[in-house]
Amino acid sequence: MSTAPAHARSPLITAELVNKHFGPAHVLRDVTTSFFQGEVAVIIGASGSGKSTFLRTLNRLEKHDSGRIVVDGIALTDDVKNLDAIRREVGMVFQQFNLFPHLSALENVTLAPRRVRKTPRAEARQKALELLARVGLADHAHKHPHQLSGGQQQRVAIARSLAMQPKVMLFDEPTSALDPEMINEVLDVMKDLARSGMTMVVVTHEMRFAREVGDRILFFDHGQLLQEAPPAQFFDAQQNDRIRAFLGQISH
Amino acid sequence: MNGLLSLWPRGWTREQRSSATIVAAGALLVAILILAGRLLALLPEPIGPSAAELAAGTLITVELTVLSGLAGVGVGVLAAVAKMSPLRIVRWPADFYIWSVRGTPLLVQVLFVYFALPEIVPVQLSDFNSAAVALTLNVGAYNAEAIRAGIQAVPRGQTEASRSLGLSPIQTFLDVIFPQAFKISLPPLVNNIVALLKDSSLAYVIGVAELSNIGNRVKTATFQPVPVFLTTAAIYLILTTVLTEISGAIEARLDVEQRH
Repeated sequence: MSTAPAHARSPLITAELVNKHFGPAHVLRDVTTSFFQGEVAVIIGASGSGKSTFLRTLNRLEKHDSGRIVVDGIALTDDVKNLDAIRREVGMVFQQFNLFPHLSALENVTLAPRRVRKTPRAEARQKALELLARVGLADHAHKHPHQLSGGQQQRVAIARSLAMQPKVMLFDEPTSALDPEMINEVLDVMKDLARSGMTMVVVTHEMRFAREVGDRILFFDHGQLLQEAPPAQFFDAQQNDRIRAFLGQISH
Repeated sequence: MNGLLSLWPRGWTREQRSSATIVAAGALLVAILILAGRLLALLPEPIGPSAAELAAGTLITVELTVLSGLAGVGVGVLAAVAKMSPLRIVRWPADFYIWSVRGTPLLVQVLFVYFALPEIVPVQLSDFNSAAVALTLNVGAYNAEAIRAGIQAVPRGQTEASRSLGLSPIQTFLDVIFPQAFKISLPPLVNNIVALLKDSSLAYVIGVAELSNIGNRVKTATFQPVPVFLTTAAIYLILTTVLTEISGAIEARLDVEQRH
């Protein structure tokens, strides 16, 4: 979606030799890559390949055991001040939406700006209504999450993240928990976001989205970053047998 | 049991019905306290002549329950949070408090606060205050377990979403976790407060003139245990019923997801 080649710009996120274990399982193996300003990177791979875990290390929902992750110039460590600073700049959208069920859609969107950015109530509200309109939910601002469909909830969740004006948005299988007829409404919002120049890292099984919107595809296999390539090359000129088998299995 | 909730017009929303119930039951409680003396005076011997004392005892019982009940929720929240702390120095005292209070009889705790505590710290509390402190500490320990269970029942994704938005751990707890946890904890908290109302009768042993104590005094004066204790029990029953109604309505009011 971006016009300039990604590598011409400075990286927003850099991961170097990142390793992670869950007990005896080695779920991330020496993962090294960078994400650039304005880029849409799509991470794919079989379940259990480490792709979601890798995404979650980028805002330290998971700690990496070794290696180095730098976000917007700040290294991810246990330093709480650093961590809070990074999380303000990194938006996250979850598979299960994780909206706050006791708050209305509007309150879900205004909570973080009011508490973290200390935005005055009226201003936060105004901004939130604009964002809800942007994701097509202007009429649903006062509903609680349980009154919304899955697709609507996920769109509120996207608006909630955008309200913090993050520099990068992470999407962890944002359409995997949705009924098929609701997938497109969420993907459309994400496409719109990509067109606006937002830096995005998206873990997904939606290959059409990956091909259409992605600037770069990252393929994870058994905890390793097996390949990164532009979509045309990845989907149409794939040389790797392992990836060809994976693509063959899901594209029907 | 939500008897009152079903009394309201069908067209009303759940919120309206529960709000009406909270107001009505609250008013009923106040009315009972104000009118108890006059209503009891209408009863025949041996109750009628002792109506004023029984009404005063009822008031003391309600005061003990409301005071200890409110303070006990505060203590319960603090103890629950402390018990879940990653810091041993915070967790250990909370563990000890909950363990020791739940493992010893309330009667001993009431006696301890009234008789033993002044020997340890140079403060002599009145009989009423001693009872209130003992009841608060007692119900607080049970509340702590209820609230801890509520906090643990809030899905992990809520914390992740909140922290990802940049909210601090304290903001996450206050704005996201606690409101949901409190709702989950409410039924057991209500049970604890109903139990507290009944347990407040143990203040009797240190001379607090609460309802059971007054009942016993009236029995001693009249030699008619059957009507006296039936009346005493009936007053407790009315109070616990009203309390259950109020809490049931609060629960319905907070139940935004309309699971019930």
